[in-house]
Amino acid sequence: MLVAHLSPLAASLFSLIAIASLLLAFVMLGSRWLRHYLYAFALESWLIAALSAAVGYYGQYPELYLIAILTAVFRGCLLPYLLLRIVRRLNVARELHVVVQASSSLVIGAFAVVFALVVATHIGDTLGLGGTVVVLALTVMLSMKLIGFLMLTVRHEAISQILGLLVLENGIFLGSQILVPGMPLLLEIVILFDLLIIVACFGLLVQYLISHVGTTSSLKLRRLVG
Amino acid sequence: MTRVILLQIAQVLAVLLLAPLLQGIILQFEERVQRAQGPGIFQPYRDLRKLFHKQIVLPETASWLFWIAPVVAFTAMMTVPILIPVLTNFPLPLSDMGDILGGGLILTLGGFMITLAGLDSGSAYGGIGSSRAVMLAILAEPTLILVFVGITLLAKAMLPFVVNHLLVAQPAVYWSPAHLFLVAAFFVLLLVETDRLPIHSSTHVEVYMIEEGRILEYAGPLLALLRWASMMKQFILYTIFCNVLLLPWALSIEGTAIGALGAAAALMFKFTLVGCAVVVVETTQSRLRFYRYQEPLAASFLLAVLAIIGTQLS
Repeated sequence: MLVAHLSPLAASLFSLIAIASLLLAFVMLGSRWLRHYLYAFALESWLIAALSAAVGYYGQYPELYLIAILTAVFRGCLLPYLLLRIVRRLNVARELHVVVQASSSLVIGAFAVVFALVVATHIGDTLGLGGTVVVLALTVMLSMKLIGFLMLTVRHEAISQILGLLVLENGIFLGSQILVPGMPLLLEIVILFDLLIIVACFGLLVQYLISHVGTTSSLKLRRLVG
Repeated sequence: MTRVILLQIAQVLAVLLLAPLLQGIILQFEERVQRAQGPGIFQPYRDLRKLFHKQIVLPETASWLFWIAPVVAFTAMMTVPILIPVLTNFPLPLSDMGDILGGGLILTLGGFMITLAGLDSGSAYGGIGSSRAVMLAILAEPTLILVFVGITLLAKAMLPFVVNHLLVAQPAVYWSPAHLFLVAAFFVLLLVETDRLPIHSSTHVEVYMIEEGRILEYAGPLLALLRWASMMKQFILYTIFCNVLLLPWALSIEGTAIGALGAAAALMFKFTLVGCAVVVVETTQSRLRFYRYQEPLAASFLLAVLAIIGTQLS
């Protein structure tokens, strides 16, 4: 496993990038303007692209450079651009009806991170890798997944929900970059195209919501319409 | 032996005498950023002198608490500099009286006495100011404790001198995510505890009064003591922020007179840098509503939790 034998500099670089992307996930959780979500998501994707390149450099995986470029282009530019177009068309600048206040959701997120840490430490100890960057990667991965779920649960604008889904996916991708860097290139490309299709489908769905229900908030979807 | 005792006295004197200067610098910079002339950086000294020359007026409803509170607050602020590295980077006599938590306890004791004094006179504003101050303390205290826990886990010690030495000696620890998050969390606390925006608690508008509400009944020398104590609290928090966390360099190592003077000058330089950051925040941020006070503090809490996570993984 690459991460078990890293130089201290590489380990600290990886941990800095991982924690910074976790922080950006929290920015998304704590802000209430949709545009800020988008910028945070784009920045997070750029960080993950940098992480891919760094893993490729330190672990001698040349194909990871290609993945880094693809990540930066797709997740860092294309997806935010498509979502930004949807936001512009919608005239929705912010979450209007929040279920849980921003500060409360930050504190819940903090507890989710503590939970993720406990789980990751346990897994790391079982694998005999306690105290290395593996535990950090697992923590960040699990907590980004939990934050993604949290965003899906407490937010009601359609855009926030798709962003929650994307954060969840970003977390898995970040974890896989550090933990199993030799994943086949084809899989990564397939995942990227999947994301593109998800966003395109969501664009259609939002259009449908506006034309048939007259709103983009999932709170209003109370009954099944045949 | 005599020299270290003199140095210890110099630490307290530095806090006592330079605290109004720090307040003046921040206020003056703020005025200049807003393209106003400003009263100059020595205005707090002039204010204090004016207040000390006035007579003491006591409310009829006040008890002995009203008298004792400013004195206790002032004494508490003069006790804390003994415990922290203000001028020297080595412990001086009586520095081992308390660790970081002990310093925090004494700082809080001053605030507690002022809260009691606000309730003592029975005026409506004093009561509302005290209740708000306690609410703010309830919101800020968990974060403060978490920051202390984070520092302790980082340095494996609760003494500020150990943290200072560790950060100077090991750049890897200085640039580790745990330390950077601690700095960010403490910066938010610094803004909250020293009456800066986004929670500006010392305005004179009745709806917003927190700090002012608590001390509204005071006049003359007692008010001057309270003002001075709050400036010293600000100075102490800046000292902890700079000398323990953010800029642990440029302290007197040998403890000579020149070194102590140089450390005092460097201290004012560091404070000016932090003050500039504070001025930027104050200029760009607007006041938060009362019911949104928890937002910056929740963010700070989160940063402290992330820092603790970081210390577990390095």
